[in-house]
Amino acid sequence: MSAVDVTIEICGMSGDGTIAAGGLLNGALSAAGFSVLAFDSYPAEIRGFGRCVTRTRAGESEMMALADKTSILISLDDEQSRSRIPFLRDDAVVLFDNRPVVYVGEGQSIAAHLEPKMNPFGIPFGDLAAEVSGARRGRNLTALGALAALFGLPGNAFHGAVKRKFQPKGERVLDANLKCFDAGYQYCRDTFKDRLERISRLGSRDKTGERELLSGNAAISLGALDAGLRLYFGYPITPATPIMEYLAKELPKKGGAVMQMEDEIASIGGVLGSFYAGKRAMTATSGPGFALMTELIAHATVAEIPAVIVDAQRGGPATGLPTKTEQSDLHAAVFGGPGDSARIVLAPTNVSECYYYTARSFGLAEKYQTPVIVLTDFFLDNRVENILPPKNRPEDIENGNVYPDPSKHGVYRRFEDTKTGISPRSIPGTEGFIFRTTGLEHTEEGFPDYSSANHMKMTEKRHRKIEGALTDLPEPVEFSPEGNLDLGVVTWGSTFGAALEAVQRAQGEGLKVGAMKISSIYPYHSDSIRSFMMRCNDILFPELNYEGQLANLIGHLFNKEVLRFNRVTGLPMSATDIYVRIRAIVE
Amino acid sequence: MAEQHFVVIGNGPAGNEAALTLREHAPEARVTIISRERGGCFRPHFLPRFVVGKLAEEDLYLSSAVSYRDKGIKLRSGQEVVSVHPDKRKIILDHKEIISFDGLIIAVGGRPRIPENLMVFGDLMLTLKTVQDAKVWIRKLNETDTVLMIGGDLTSLSFTKQLVDVGKKVCFALNDDAFWPLRFDRYLYNQVAGRLRENGVEVLEYSRIRGMSLLSDGMIEVNTDYEKVRAGLVGAFFGLKPDIAFLARSGLKIDRGILVDEYLHAGFEGVYATGDCAQVFHPDLRDYWVSIGHDNAVALGRTAALNLIGERVRAEPDMACIFDVQGVQVNSSWWMEF
Repeated sequence: MSAVDVTIEICGMSGDGTIAAGGLLNGALSAAGFSVLAFDSYPAEIRGFGRCVTRTRAGESEMMALADKTSILISLDDEQSRSRIPFLRDDAVVLFDNRPVVYVGEGQSIAAHLEPKMNPFGIPFGDLAAEVSGARRGRNLTALGALAALFGLPGNAFHGAVKRKFQPKGERVLDANLKCFDAGYQYCRDTFKDRLERISRLGSRDKTGERELLSGNAAISLGALDAGLRLYFGYPITPATPIMEYLAKELPKKGGAVMQMEDEIASIGGVLGSFYAGKRAMTATSGPGFALMTELIAHATVAEIPAVIVDAQRGGPATGLPTKTEQSDLHAAVFGGPGDSARIVLAPTNVSECYYYTARSFGLAEKYQTPVIVLTDFFLDNRVENILPPKNRPEDIENGNVYPDPSKHGVYRRFEDTKTGISPRSIPGTEGFIFRTTGLEHTEEGFPDYSSANHMKMTEKRHRKIEGALTDLPEPVEFSPEGNLDLGVVTWGSTFGAALEAVQRAQGEGLKVGAMKISSIYPYHSDSIRSFMMRCNDILFPELNYEGQLANLIGHLFNKEVLRFNRVTGLPMSATDIYVRIRAIVE
Repeated sequence: MAEQHFVVIGNGPAGNEAALTLREHAPEARVTIISRERGGCFRPHFLPRFVVGKLAEEDLYLSSAVSYRDKGIKLRSGQEVVSVHPDKRKIILDHKEIISFDGLIIAVGGRPRIPENLMVFGDLMLTLKTVQDAKVWIRKLNETDTVLMIGGDLTSLSFTKQLVDVGKKVCFALNDDAFWPLRFDRYLYNQVAGRLRENGVEVLEYSRIRGMSLLSDGMIEVNTDYEKVRAGLVGAFFGLKPDIAFLARSGLKIDRGILVDEYLHAGFEGVYATGDCAQVFHPDLRDYWVSIGHDNAVALGRTAALNLIGERVRAEPDMACIFDVQGVQVNSSWWMEF
């Protein structure tokens, strides 16, 4: 029997409870012991209408990417769901409401559009909900009950998820939702008993209880909290807003504060002020907000002030595609801003890394007195994975500040040109360690100085410092057999999961290919990357941007032109698309 | 001129052939098949060989599910018609979708007939009409070596032969009113019983079923007039009856099947019935006849389609194959082959 690997979609109109149902499904599947990776998409215009889709991939092995094809579709709105049919497997199971409020014309039911091998299950979602709860709006729960019955999923796992979500809303609400779930469950047990044995059973696995469901944004927030975040400054923007929402609830409980600022410039200003005063602070934004921040980010590099900034990328340029994913801010994250303003850029590839890299970024920012940019994207921020609960590692949260030696009392030089480029930093107001800070080019003492020699020296010092940070930054990770390879796939961010899945599929078919994951975007580990590249005949960069921005940054390390696979569809990278490209190159 | 929409209800051999004929002769028309069964059109008489593993599943099918798209036929698989309004040229599906048609061919075939006195034991008996039925047999035959066949229709005889071939122990409760639509006379009954015994089948003659129960060891105990018999599986084979309950309020004339003239016309403009569900008038016999068997179904399906698009083709049964069954003329080419 092959391992379970199933993708379930719920599609409806805003207001149908689609996203809520997807969340409950993820919770239940996680409780039932499956590995879960889920991603919701919803309209850009927040006006209470438009198509909502949740996609959940669940299975026995670790889920790294979304699947291209969906096995099970729950339609809460047939008109909206019709758009999902091209993404269904040939033998997909489709659950839909077969008792709409009124008769519909030909083609208005999703059943009219299904391919012959698909399995439609007409279930009166709305009627069942109305029967047990007095209102049709519980039809999303009825649909989940139907799904659980048809696929033998444990009802208690769903009950648990429903209780966690609705208990806080009172017994009456909880009871109505449980009844709706049970009504769908029982209806399918009774009505389709002769078909239940004909569809693959999912059941439950034996990993119950180990894992925790987290979105990328929640993991970033948790990482910041565990790292001792004191102040969060932000201005709402998709897809970063959930970080501020999360922290607004949780940070005050730990004695910190969240401040919504008038714009992104004020937000980054707040972060610099906090760190300047010795308190850990953070802001999170997306491309348009990041663009506003670049002047102060550059200021932080020259004034050597720590900062932690999450850039949750979305489709660009400018306002672009607010609810779509893209990896097109890499150039801006690495180079954005005036002058030679080197900074650290980290790119997590999954939810777990969202936690760890965020937590670690505070210490790095303090030690290297520089902005640290955590570069995520819409898909990574909003996707949900059930991961082993992240642990608060001392090395990630320890104070990174390098304080001046007491012997420097009275003779302290804030920007002393040391061997590492790291100048010990005192907290303002410390007696005997008073210093000046400016955005102008300055001497080691902090006095403005525009002389050629000084500018050369201080620019080189700041870059030496950032290069030196490599020892503390995550090494590239290889996923390849030993020896020479026909093709190496170099990948970063949320694309990594799809790339690795594609590479592993190709490896399973005997192709000599390998993958390398790059998490430290800047500075980058030239030696390790070059060493991998030199084992490969060709190098491929799959990226969710038009130009191939990582390829532009590090492609020069290879001895010939690198190959690119660039997608700007607004959708997560497809493992199948990369696989097809790999085969085309190798063969 | 607006595009014509031809709808075929049912995707057995008759419905499938009707749709293909429409496609061939009316290339500009939209052709839709609505079938309660999932998947493409299969050959029901191949099911016994499929169950015992002599035939691969893909070889069951006349047309695979995906081939319809290539042919320009919309197959709505797993969807059920709940009412037909021939006067308004509309049909309604179970999920409350209304479909308009310019021409309609009803080819829903039959479903297993279970005598009223045995309906209470329905959960303990298996039938063999669909591919899904066959898969249930395949699964359950892995767990037992004994089978009791009740009834005696054509499928049961073919199936028994296959079961014996693969080493199953088969007991047969042969019953003279069971061989629907053909009724046994004494001569025929003895012929069949003798043939079964020659093949190693234990025959319970003229046994009527009085009771049936599931024992704790998973065996099924069947009480007949004379004895108790135990078997791992019980098959009910009493023939098929036209599956036309959904037409009760349609205004179509219904007796055992849908009454049609020799051109398979059902009395409303553009509405035809064909295959096992049609009861066809024969001007020479001055009576109606029904048809069973794959070859007949295909021929009737084609005839209905040709007439729908304006030809005048009579449904012509082979008179040598016509049997009189309880006052109904039955055409069974399959029986002659068997």
